[in-house]
Amino acid sequence: MITLSPLKKFQYPVMAECINPDVFKGKTTAEIAALSVWEGNKQKTLGDLFAIEETAAENPSIVINGDASKVRRVGMGMKNGEIVVNGNIGMHVGEKMAGGKITVNGDAGGWAGSDMKKGLIEIHGNAGDYLASPYRGSSTGMRGGTIIVHGNVGSDSAVFMRGGVIKIRGNAGPFLGFRMGDGTVYVQKECGTRVGACMTGGKIIIAGALQEVMPTFTIDSIKPKVKVDETETAAGPFYVFLGDLAESGSGKIFVSKAVNPHLSMYEKYL
Amino acid sequence: MSIVKAVTCPVCGSLCDDIELTVENNEVVKVKNGCAMCESKYLGYKSEHRIRTPLVRKDGKFVPVSMDEAVHKAAEILANANYPILYGWSSTNCEAQRVGVELAEEVGGVLDNTAVVCHGPSILSVQEVGIPTCTLGQIRHRADLMLYWGCDPWSAHPRHLERYTSFTEGRFEDSAWKAYLQKVKAAAGKKKLVSAERLEFVKSRPRPQTQACTISGPPQTLKKDGRKLIVIDVRKSMTAEMADYFIQVEPNKDYEVMQAIRALVRDHELDVDKVGGIPVEYLEEVADALVNCNFGVIFFGMGLTQSAGKFRNIDVAISLIRDLNRRTKFAIMPMRGHFNVAGANIVSTWQSGYPYGVDFSLGYPRYNPGETTCMDVLLRGESDASLVIAADPGATFPKRAVEHMVKTPLIVIDPHMNATAMLADIVFPSAFVGIEVGGTAYRMDNVPLPLKKVVEPPAGILPDEEILKRILEEVRIIKAQKMAKQAEAA
Repeated sequence: MITLSPLKKFQYPVMAECINPDVFKGKTTAEIAALSVWEGNKQKTLGDLFAIEETAAENPSIVINGDASKVRRVGMGMKNGEIVVNGNIGMHVGEKMAGGKITVNGDAGGWAGSDMKKGLIEIHGNAGDYLASPYRGSSTGMRGGTIIVHGNVGSDSAVFMRGGVIKIRGNAGPFLGFRMGDGTVYVQKECGTRVGACMTGGKIIIAGALQEVMPTFTIDSIKPKVKVDETETAAGPFYVFLGDLAESGSGKIFVSKAVNPHLSMYEKYL
Repeated sequence: MSIVKAVTCPVCGSLCDDIELTVENNEVVKVKNGCAMCESKYLGYKSEHRIRTPLVRKDGKFVPVSMDEAVHKAAEILANANYPILYGWSSTNCEAQRVGVELAEEVGGVLDNTAVVCHGPSILSVQEVGIPTCTLGQIRHRADLMLYWGCDPWSAHPRHLERYTSFTEGRFEDSAWKAYLQKVKAAAGKKKLVSAERLEFVKSRPRPQTQACTISGPPQTLKKDGRKLIVIDVRKSMTAEMADYFIQVEPNKDYEVMQAIRALVRDHELDVDKVGGIPVEYLEEVADALVNCNFGVIFFGMGLTQSAGKFRNIDVAISLIRDLNRRTKFAIMPMRGHFNVAGANIVSTWQSGYPYGVDFSLGYPRYNPGETTCMDVLLRGESDASLVIAADPGATFPKRAVEHMVKTPLIVIDPHMNATAMLADIVFPSAFVGIEVGGTAYRMDNVPLPLKKVVEPPAGILPDEEILKRILEEVRIIKAQKMAKQAEAA
């Protein structure tokens, strides 16, 4: 196990895609300290910015202690192992992740789990904007794996989602599941506006309050419960909306009936 | 006295190139063909706020210095910075912008232009869904339906309607100017009648009750022949006054309205009666008008790009155009603000591959708005030096962003002592692009037009391009000296 502690409070963004169990594997502490990172526009080594300690324990593979909110691209493209962050972490954590596990005991920056394929990201604080959403211009977002956020999530999450499960225990911002094609998003508390806009498939479950459903969604039925994944089922009843009609889509939004009495006007169409 | 013809106006994105200037004693004395904004720039640019010499802040006060000293100081700040931002670029020519990209790459900084607080969201959505567009010339000659959404060209691009859309005489479409005059006359007559009735000159007649609704009236005007003008906005703007049909949408509900029109164009039924405060029947009328035109255009402005939803609003607008193109011919165009903001995007794309928010800190261009845009960099307090050229973020950025910008060394290149220059550490006076310097600028439809030099700049005042070149040269010298020192030490 490698423990990294920031040597100072960073002002400039630190690009550290080398903080990855696959890269650290088989390297000595000295070799790890010599790995290249960027701080602002200056190239440095990991040892310049972090105190590096090695212990005999196998798991987790990497621990970051302290505030790493400016450290970006941690665990980028990782396939195996586990990273634990005791503090906040910067943008692009677990981007293009293809396996393994990342636990953040703090907040995560934007684009966490962007383009994720496999693995598990668990964020115990809040997540920024664009959780599990792809890079600008890409039309394929998260394809598999699981993301669990215990706090709140910013805007534009699960955009272009094509598979996998996202569980948000807190609130979610607007444009959740924009142009989503497949996969499941479960929001336990409030959800922002324009949820599921332009979605063509997949399901979004909202157990909390939702101000309004997009006018381009049509009510389908009322369901007593919905399956989130193999381990979890959300208890309803839920209004089931189909859409987005503007994309002739067949995505499903499940909205809690009990918390959203203002949506009862849709019942006349059933 | 000389008359300079076919001058391109350096004010708004319409870039009118039919301006005639009368020049006397190296001063513009008369402007022909221009709008109020054009006249005000050509006749008023020589104000008392003009900066005459380079200034450096010493002990909290500006001290005039030589150009060489200012260039050396600025280059030193940029060459030693860890994460500088280079912002502005929209009110200068493409030649200066090109040097700017080179400078940003040399100093490993974040290059950003004013699109970030303007039409940046449009660019983001274009990258996601593409853009079916055309030139203003095509619109002038062929378009029979104009829809202005969230913009007010009559106030912000005054000659847009007259030169490119409704009120221009095209080869295949007639001007709607006469119809507008008739409408104005009818409105004036109606006002007179109402006032006569009030003064009891004539007997008042009962009129049909108008429906209490957010809409100006029933859409009979959409069935008329010839060019049609539709305006969708949150308030009745000057352009809306002259529109055939105006829809007042609730603030921040544009996305829902547009999405509803999309569903209607695709012949879907909606479960709701109203969208964004507009009855669905009225949206059906608009959808009908859109589908039944021969060639329609949607122009959009800040009302879409900077209201709730931001780039998703444009995403859905472009998707609407895509849907409409299955039934008829449609195009879409952003109403670009500054005269060369389109050029800033084009030069940045030509040089680095990305239109704005380009981060050169890793030695190669990287682009991810939200991460590499200067507004976000400033709000997160990450930058350690700034160069601002041809823009005024000190007056337009949020307080927290300006606070951070002022905390770090700030270099400003501008003809005037604007709000940002007043906060700066080093100020370079520059010549007015399009008046004292020529060059190239891009119109809102991405057509390049030449800018003309009509008068000489004041003595000792250099163009933006020249100032940037000198700073770039000095940065290279400082970096070479630094490397030589490091090599010696090693």
